[in-house]
Amino acid sequence: MELLDIFVLACSFVVLLALGVPIAYSIGLATVATMLLSISATPALTTEAQRIATGLDSFALLAIPFFILAGQIMNRGGIARRLIDFAKALLGMLPGGLAHVNILASMLFGAISGSAVAAASAVGGVMAPQMEREGYDVDYGAAVNITAATTGLLIPPSNILIVYSLASGGVSIAALFLAGYLPGILVGSMLMVVAGIMAVRRGYANRGRSSLAQVLRRFTDAVPSLTLLIVVMGGIVAGFFTATEAAAVAVLYALILALLYREITLKDLPQVFLDASATTAVVLLLVGTSVGMSWIMAYVNIPQALTESLVALTDNELVILLIINGILLSVGTFMDITPAVLIFTPIFLPIAIELGIDPTHFGIIMVLNLCVGLCTPPVGSVLFVGVGVAETSIAQVVRPLMPLFITMILALLIVTYVPQLSLWLPEVFLD
Amino acid sequence: MIDRVRQVVDRALSIALVVIMAALVLDVLWQVFTRFVLRNPSSYTEELARYLMIWVGLLGAAYAAGKHMHLSVDLLRLEGRLHLAHKLVVYGFTVLFAIGPLVVGGGRLVWTMLYLGQTSAALTIPLGYLYLAVPISGLLITFYAACDISEALRTRER
Repeated sequence: MELLDIFVLACSFVVLLALGVPIAYSIGLATVATMLLSISATPALTTEAQRIATGLDSFALLAIPFFILAGQIMNRGGIARRLIDFAKALLGMLPGGLAHVNILASMLFGAISGSAVAAASAVGGVMAPQMEREGYDVDYGAAVNITAATTGLLIPPSNILIVYSLASGGVSIAALFLAGYLPGILVGSMLMVVAGIMAVRRGYANRGRSSLAQVLRRFTDAVPSLTLLIVVMGGIVAGFFTATEAAAVAVLYALILALLYREITLKDLPQVFLDASATTAVVLLLVGTSVGMSWIMAYVNIPQALTESLVALTDNELVILLIINGILLSVGTFMDITPAVLIFTPIFLPIAIELGIDPTHFGIIMVLNLCVGLCTPPVGSVLFVGVGVAETSIAQVVRPLMPLFITMILALLIVTYVPQLSLWLPEVFLD
Repeated sequence: MIDRVRQVVDRALSIALVVIMAALVLDVLWQVFTRFVLRNPSSYTEELARYLMIWVGLLGAAYAAGKHMHLSVDLLRLEGRLHLAHKLVVYGFTVLFAIGPLVVGGGRLVWTMLYLGQTSAALTIPLGYLYLAVPISGLLITFYAACDISEALRTRER
């Protein structure tokens, strides 16, 4: 390992980030700067261009634009609202009822749309005004919405688990998806407990109990939306279609549903497609440049060097996992989840495998870990969106966020040290 | 003047993105259809989908650059002239990225691929045309950065 390479890579990246250069450009420029130490200019630039283009050349990755598109259609097509109404009928009577509603709706919507940002804006956009009307503090509501949105990245289908599958060199997407259920539900329920306690302390009222007839009606309304989950996950787990094909089917299904609900017309479609492709492209440019950075890191032997020094430090599996989690938590604060997964999976996964940790389990650990980073400044895409839809500021949300952060980190420790939580479902369904 | 051009570029790019995205969805749905209904899986749909995604990713990246959608860290908050200088530095690095790896590197990649005469497996498209998305994206990002720079300088004069 050449120390100079690491120094140039790390310094140029951090300086560019701190200056406020967009993350994707910073990753690309830092990669090229490091390449220039050992390769001359023209081949370095050509290699980087090729890494960016070939980084996108993957059929599995194509699930991401489709899930984003399906999410946007559902958001505008009245599907998010029906899920929220269903959650409200089910959980509205608990103390701090609307907080529980927000969390359950995020879990359902995040699961369907595969994206935490989409969940934060779709569910938060509907819930924030309602919470305000019923006397909830805006910042509390935003904090609940922001943390709850991340559960959508664990509960399948999940775009980031597809990215992990790619970065890990082919861990099964079906296994990862199944592995995400229980950890995602764990995070959601732990958040509900803590949000409930906070609500009682703040003296928020609960709503009256819904009648059974009401619950049933809301459930019937939500059934077509929930069926999408069964089609997508059932199809993938049974091996009928790949995640990408399932995602394309999800787009078609959501579109038909939204047109039937008459909340979207064919005239709205170009705008929906345009928004989806722009959102997709932001992720894809990060994917392309991250693939380049991951390549240069392997080229200068950073993964091997890190493995050796970590293993030399201790051979205790529990301690190493703790160290990896610590590093990823700090990485997550300033790096978006997609580049973090693409860049750090090739570094940490070999260590994990050497310690006998299942690659599927490790993927869930990494994603949950980086989910915490999505809610923390300075770079937290879910935080930004959550604060935006609630019309408050990051500084104000931080206080009510703290207990919920700690809850997420607690859940992370449980998921890290109880592998069965991740591995039980894949074992039952896939072996 | 430059604002008019920007509107035209925005419009053209939007139409291209909508068309490619729609083509992507139809292509993969066709793949599912041929496999399940016709029981005769199409041989080119997967390759076409991968290539369309490269284009949607890179052209979309340029569109997103024009709309300032790319994520960045928001630590420096400066006032007055320093604010302008800071903005120009960020745009400068944007242009550096767009011209360096994307236009120069991508252009060189296209040229090499066309020179070697490599074509894709199923569709037999020359790979040089596939990679043309890279330099085009770079040129568009540069164009948007130039617009932003000119706007930043104009607001200062006022």
